[in-house]
Amino acid sequence: MASPRRLLRTARQLTSIKTPLLTSQFPRHVSTTPSPPSPSPPSPPLPPKNLKPLTESQREMLSSFLRVNQAGELAATLIYTAQTPPILAREPHLRPLMKHMYDQEADHLRVFNSLIAKHRVRPTALYPLWSVLATGLGWSTAVMGKEAAMACTEAVETEIGGHYNAQIRELLKMVSEWEAEGYDVGEEFTELISTLRRIRDEELEHLDHAVEHDAQKAEPHWLLTGVIRAGCRGAIWVSERV
Amino acid sequence: MASPAAVNCSGAARRILLLPTTTTQPATRSFPGRLSAVTSRPITTLPSTPRTKSKSTPKTQPPTTPPPQPLQTRRTYHSTTHPPPPSPFTQAETTLLTSALTSHIPTHGFTLPSLTLAARDLSLLDISPSFLGPSPVARLIHFHLYTTRTTLPSLASQHSDLLSGLSVSGKIELLTWLRLKQNEPIIQHWQQALAVMAQPSQVPVAVRELAMLADEIYYLAGDKSVDPSWYTKRAALSGIYAAAELFMTTDKSEGFQETRRFLRRRLQEAEELGGAVRSVGEWVGFTASAGVNVLRSKGVRI
Repeated sequence: MASPRRLLRTARQLTSIKTPLLTSQFPRHVSTTPSPPSPSPPSPPLPPKNLKPLTESQREMLSSFLRVNQAGELAATLIYTAQTPPILAREPHLRPLMKHMYDQEADHLRVFNSLIAKHRVRPTALYPLWSVLATGLGWSTAVMGKEAAMACTEAVETEIGGHYNAQIRELLKMVSEWEAEGYDVGEEFTELISTLRRIRDEELEHLDHAVEHDAQKAEPHWLLTGVIRAGCRGAIWVSERV
Repeated sequence: MASPAAVNCSGAARRILLLPTTTTQPATRSFPGRLSAVTSRPITTLPSTPRTKSKSTPKTQPPTTPPPQPLQTRRTYHSTTHPPPPSPFTQAETTLLTSALTSHIPTHGFTLPSLTLAARDLSLLDISPSFLGPSPVARLIHFHLYTTRTTLPSLASQHSDLLSGLSVSGKIELLTWLRLKQNEPIIQHWQQALAVMAQPSQVPVAVRELAMLADEIYYLAGDKSVDPSWYTKRAALSGIYAAAELFMTTDKSEGFQETRRFLRRRLQEAEELGGAVRSVGEWVGFTASAGVNVLRSKGVRI
């Protein structure tokens, strides 16, 4: 398991190669990666906590976060499901990699499914549409070849990584406001933030894998990644709302 | 701020003479306006000369109501640890509406006289219900829907021994039945209430309450589906609940057993229909993937 620092460093190196990645998109923001000692101050577990009621806008924000993340992970599992058979028919040695990435995405989907059920968030209404589009994207890029499939992974994971980072930043802002006002921060949110960090790091790991497996050799790379990234951004925008 | 309130005072003062049968109320006032009217002035005192005293109204003691809150009716992120969001009804509204619901609805129905009598019980003026907004009666019915929905979790925990042994569909049947039984004390007036809530201006509130009730029942039953069936299940239950509620208003059987049988039949039908749709979907999915696999086994690169 690669460390988050190494992943982000890789992302920065990628920036210098070709595509504008996370770090160049958010140059002014503080890092969302915790400093090495501990992600949050150890809180006393037993005494009743002084938790602030969530405002309407905060609940809206959290709903849209969980909804869009579930839709995204659903799409990711379907992309890998559709990509695997055509890719393995040509490059059987990629089986462990595809399985590893699929397993991680399936775990992410399970995490967000349970979070959505637990917090009573409405799932996205365009569930069938995302299923069809994701399967189509995965299958068509895989048929175009291994490089195109990896470029698809690269483009998707780049968008997803930046998207998770933006969410983590919003949550950290909310949590630090509570701390500044003297409220406690419950495990509900410390756990949510650490889950999002873990998932973001795993998505960036997929980005590394894709680049290691010739994603940049796809022809035409700029067009493929550009189209897929624009599509991702559009899908994220819609899923946050519907 | 002060002058619209004063204009409303004079309107309310005029209505005292017409109470309780008047229905001519300013229809243009929205709910936030109503809330500010409640907080800006005590409802227990009647300004004798509203227009001239309008500037001095801030000096009078404000009522003990919390600050105006947005009308929270959408269901969003449900925190398991943080305190729940505030009620859409202010403290003053809750007191008045609870009094009306418990003491006067069973005899007078969902009408303005019930609210007026409740206001008298609390030694408020007869005009007090006019602070409930453009349609006090609809607000009263909404309060009934809201309180019955929000007491459903405690009702469920009272019956936890019954619920624990049931399947999810059994739990849904029992929870829906528990909610229907909450209408029992006011059942002879419920048709009238349904007619009020079916008015175009009240339909959004009624539909939202119905949707949130269906969601509450599925949550309490422990349903964890997060795919498109989330929508179909809730829509089906909403329709079944509304039908059963209407059926109950004409049910004369002992303990509303006919309503319960009606409810069971409708839920059974929905389950059968859902099962049929699911089977067809499974068959299509299986056939499609089998077809793709056959082609792959023949060497087609897809």
